[in-house]
Amino acid sequence: MPVLFFNIIKLLFLLLLFLFLWQISRSIRSHLGSNPGTRTEGHAAELVILTGDTEIDRVRIRPQGHVIGRSPDADIRISDPYSSEFHARVGIQDGQVVVHDLGSTNGTYVNGRRVTSPTSVSRGDTVQIGKTILEVR
Amino acid sequence: MTRRAEAGLIVAAALIASVGVAIVEFTRGNWLNAQVALTFLAFVASFGGVHLAVIRWAPGASSLLLPTATFLTAVGFIEIYRIDSEAAALQRWSLLVAAATASMVLWLLRRTGVAVFRRYRYVILAIGVAFLLLPLLPNSWIIHGATVNGSRLWVRLDIPGTLRVLSFQPGEIAKILITIFLASYLAERAEAMSVVSRKIGPFKVPEPRHLGPVIIAGAAASLVLIYQRDLGASLLLFGVFIGMLYIATGRSFYVITGAVLAVFGGIGAYATFDHVARRIEAWLDPFSHITDAGYQTVQGLFAMGSGALTGSGIGLGRPDLIPAVTTDFIFAAIAEEMGLAGSLAVLAGFSLLIAAGFGIAIRSRDRFRKYLASGLTIVISLQAIIILGGVLRLLPITGLTLPFMSYGGSSLLANMVIVTLLLRVSHEERL
Repeated sequence: MPVLFFNIIKLLFLLLLFLFLWQISRSIRSHLGSNPGTRTEGHAAELVILTGDTEIDRVRIRPQGHVIGRSPDADIRISDPYSSEFHARVGIQDGQVVVHDLGSTNGTYVNGRRVTSPTSVSRGDTVQIGKTILEVR
Repeated sequence: MTRRAEAGLIVAAALIASVGVAIVEFTRGNWLNAQVALTFLAFVASFGGVHLAVIRWAPGASSLLLPTATFLTAVGFIEIYRIDSEAAALQRWSLLVAAATASMVLWLLRRTGVAVFRRYRYVILAIGVAFLLLPLLPNSWIIHGATVNGSRLWVRLDIPGTLRVLSFQPGEIAKILITIFLASYLAERAEAMSVVSRKIGPFKVPEPRHLGPVIIAGAAASLVLIYQRDLGASLLLFGVFIGMLYIATGRSFYVITGAVLAVFGGIGAYATFDHVARRIEAWLDPFSHITDAGYQTVQGLFAMGSGALTGSGIGLGRPDLIPAVTTDFIFAAIAEEMGLAGSLAVLAGFSLLIAAGFGIAIRSRDRFRKYLASGLTIVISLQAIIILGGVLRLLPITGLTLPFMSYGGSSLLANMVIVTLLLRVSHEERL
């Protein structure tokens, strides 16, 4: 009888170890953001349109990114005469929000400075396209 | 994961430690006693304390590292307690000291961040090398080196007027300091070093002067090997150096040169040093050296073999038959008493810790922080690989501690500081 008892204790203890590891792995999964219910903490993940004429006023940045422009085929369509058809792309690279100018006529400005190469932006930075101003949140 | 979840997991790991201690006491015929409560309190106070320090001084830090470290420490502690309860009581104090040091490091870096290390990198290197050489102090001084099991890596401080001694392994701290220096050195030089302009046959090689660091690494490692007779530390130092060079430059050339140097160094050491030769022979054929050099390895193999799938149960095996079981061979003891299941849990814990460490390195934007985080993670992972390889007889046995799990204050302190630095780096990415 005591042998059985010790065996049960032994197995329960091993179960305890794996329960703990299971809890940590679950936390990692939510940490990586593969769990759609949770939002990655601390990382900018939303694009908010502050001024300008658009159909939507905020959008969650998806990993494959969004193309912003005047064309009806753009992911985020802005009715701004100073914007190009496909003006800029906002995407996520290595967990960071990156703005690419797509060779627009009037340029893309991050915090008021014109950018020509892909530029990473963080929370609170503003992106200006034509007369439309967006903020990363 | 939120801070609250982190706190919950730390308490859960502390609970695992005290449940383990309770099981050990039970197999000795005792019911719950003060040891169970003391263990729980020591774990909650130490890791909980670091957790509070993180909330206060590094609120953006990753919350994956601390619970995993607590888990590994807890499983190791149970086995230490089971083998040597007096040592476990000392280990509890070491845990508190280590946690206090870790919190102090967070406090010191609260304003400046890790960037402050870059400014003082040569001072850090000098202190690191001095720490490495500290065990060579003559025996007659108040602070003196000591030779234990043929390796000279201890420093002892005789407290005047009493017979008590304070002893520690400065090499444990030295490896952190040297990693910090390397990270800052490579942050400036890596770009030049990654240029491979020359060609020898089919191999592209960098400028000869960039070979300097590799040669210095080899020299430092062999110095440790010759003067301190410490195979493990020598291998670790060299491995960290080569690993960081590879991460910084992305050139396999450095890894290949490093490996060639290591093989030749190994052959040279085998031919020159008695203690190395004995270890390698005991590794290749432990059963014919069962009465002397191979005894430890063989006992470890028997222990792990008898553990089978779920182990003998905590407190029911005979891990005490293995020499140096609380330090070098703690993993064999775990495999015997918790079986394959328990040892896989430990390996999973290490994998999580290492993955979290490299994750921090990948997310870092700044070169220095990237190299620092990866270097510190390499230290932990390489140390675990070298000693686990030794226990499993995949590598010759070397006297390294298994991070967080082995008995030993200096080692615990150093690993806590490593985790703290990783926490700080991850915090700085969120600023």
